[in-house]
Amino acid sequence: MPLLINQRIVTEDPWQLLDQAALDEGSPLPENGPVAVPLIWYRQNREALQLRNSPLGVIVNGDDNLAALYADHSQLDLIAIEFPTFRDGRGFSIARQLVRSGFNRQIRALGHVTRDRLALMQSSGFNAFAINDESFQTDHLQAFSEISVNYQGTTADPRPVFRR
Amino acid sequence: MYQYNQIDQTLVDERVEQFRDQTRRFLNGELAEDEFSALRLMNGLYIQRQAPMLRVAVPYGLLSSTQMRKLAHVARTYDRGYGHFTTRTNIQFNWPELAAVPDILAELAQVQMHAIQTSGNCIRNTTTDPYAGVAANELEDPRPYCEIIRQWSTLHPEFAYLPRKFKIAVTGATEDRAASQVHDIGLQMAQNADGEIGFEVLVGGGLGRTPIIGKSIRKFLPKKHLLSYLDAILRVYNLKGRRDNKYKARIKILVEALGPDEFRRLVEEEWAHIRDGELTLTDAEIARAKSFFTLPDYDANAASANAHASLSHSLATDIEFNAWYRHNTLAHRVDGYRIAIVSLKPYLEAPGDITDSQMDAVADLADRYSFGETRATHHQNLVLTDVREGDLYAVWQALAANNLARSNIGTLTDMIVCPGFDFCSLANARTLNISDQINEHFDDMDHLYDLGEIRLNMSGCINACAHHHVADIGILGVDKKGEDWYQISLGGSSKEDARLGKILGRSVPASDVALTVEKILAVYVDQRREDESFAQVVLRVGIKPFKERVYATAH
Repeated sequence: MPLLINQRIVTEDPWQLLDQAALDEGSPLPENGPVAVPLIWYRQNREALQLRNSPLGVIVNGDDNLAALYADHSQLDLIAIEFPTFRDGRGFSIARQLVRSGFNRQIRALGHVTRDRLALMQSSGFNAFAINDESFQTDHLQAFSEISVNYQGTTADPRPVFRR
Repeated sequence: MYQYNQIDQTLVDERVEQFRDQTRRFLNGELAEDEFSALRLMNGLYIQRQAPMLRVAVPYGLLSSTQMRKLAHVARTYDRGYGHFTTRTNIQFNWPELAAVPDILAELAQVQMHAIQTSGNCIRNTTTDPYAGVAANELEDPRPYCEIIRQWSTLHPEFAYLPRKFKIAVTGATEDRAASQVHDIGLQMAQNADGEIGFEVLVGGGLGRTPIIGKSIRKFLPKKHLLSYLDAILRVYNLKGRRDNKYKARIKILVEALGPDEFRRLVEEEWAHIRDGELTLTDAEIARAKSFFTLPDYDANAASANAHASLSHSLATDIEFNAWYRHNTLAHRVDGYRIAIVSLKPYLEAPGDITDSQMDAVADLADRYSFGETRATHHQNLVLTDVREGDLYAVWQALAANNLARSNIGTLTDMIVCPGFDFCSLANARTLNISDQINEHFDDMDHLYDLGEIRLNMSGCINACAHHHVADIGILGVDKKGEDWYQISLGGSSKEDARLGKILGRSVPASDVALTVEKILAVYVDQRREDESFAQVVLRVGIKPFKERVYATAH
């Protein structure tokens, strides 16, 4: 699964993303290295996670209650937002709200992340993309620049067109 | 009207190339059907019963004659010589080839047009009063705000995958001709106690399976907050709207489920984060938007004695023109001018349809007599908004020569009708045969004039594209064991007194629709006092007398 960070294909991903099912089965946390876990699991096991002394991340989706996360994400280096289906667009607004709340580290899109939505995701605040398509190639990166203008502003430059 | 700058033009040009590439990848098998489906829908392309259907955006209904001629060219070159105007004031082409659609879009981009967000689960074309800027009792011309909304909503990165489609209407006059109360968001220009003009904000109106009148969540929103407030509503909807069932995914269901007060609280809470932020409209931006909608250069001599005498003479000597003048033209703000409605409801033709040569004819008339602009209306007609009284006879003659002057505006045969089963893959029943049947049955114009103002809307399925719930007489096509039947409702309105019609009773077979309408109208004629309209009678007497007549057992 190709990973893009800041519009570059990255081969080394230090993060281990652990899903709820594996954690429920009692899989031990990896001894070291950055891990990201579902938000609910993070809330229940915060102390154990922090004892590991490695970078921490959480995985969220539109069903999570995110108010507390927006209020405090100082311990987190990565927030991964899931797109559970192609038509579920909640992740766009979650990314927007995360950036607005001051989170400035990695926001990674997971799930239905496809070439034709990369630019929309980036404009909404994502800076990393786990692309759900093995055929993804370097030339697909042009998706980011297919539309070179916008009216609304982006999280990188929030000024709408009339303020530029 | 609004003129594209470099940014607007770049956006539509690049969107054409982006869609060309998406279409190429789909045809090559590189893009899955499901994903291409969402992408093409966001660009106005449906796959219908007969062929693909391309819906082209006509922002707030305004068309230059150059654009109209381009639509004629598209109809002639890529389609079968006609198009169909919709209730969202867009135009649909029913027979393009999928592979040719990128070329059509490239042609449209040459005249500052596109098909962006004319379908799909995103913010659709913003609509308004077709008489904006010339209407009487208008607080302010709503079109500059429609253009501001158009820009903000176009390719909005966050709101491209909403739970369901999203429609916004803006109205500025006392009379609501934009059906703003049955929109996801209705913006009604309003004045506060200090005399400042802004918007009253309604949310959660809509028709379809669950017809609901919108609820006011803010009595007064200052203009500068327009976009930040819309942004807050859309974000709440995007995050909270249902996604498990497409029939319960519109914002109206969310507003009903939460209650308008809780919905308002959520919006205000979200808005608190962004109000006075970057989306706050600047005075300069409002002034810039307004600068595109200034008054045309009206002829100071339009109301001259000569012009008046010439009109009076034509009215006195030509009864057909006289009828057209009475029914298809309206008073204008400026002395010596009239608003002229181009009827797209000719006898036995599909309502809203227009041929390439008719489009060219309208473009020529607009150039010659109405400052080069035409409006499309929610009622599926066209309007030349600024015609000198002295020119009306010439305009009428040209329209009549092109079968565009049927004097039926506001009457029973000025129906809103969706394309129905003949074209639409969602439809359950045919509609065009029934509109023909009604036209044949009520072909005596004097009878129609006597019946007065009656809005008849007919949808071929429960999705209610023709707004049958908010018509004086609403007709809904239903499928009963493979046969077309029609359910009739009475007493709806989409205007400032918006209300949903009441279902009369069991549906009637296709053969009996016009006959049933005749019985309904007979009750009206019996019951009416002096010059009471159909709507007033239904309000006063209720539907019982209509029901009794329609379902009376035959003796």
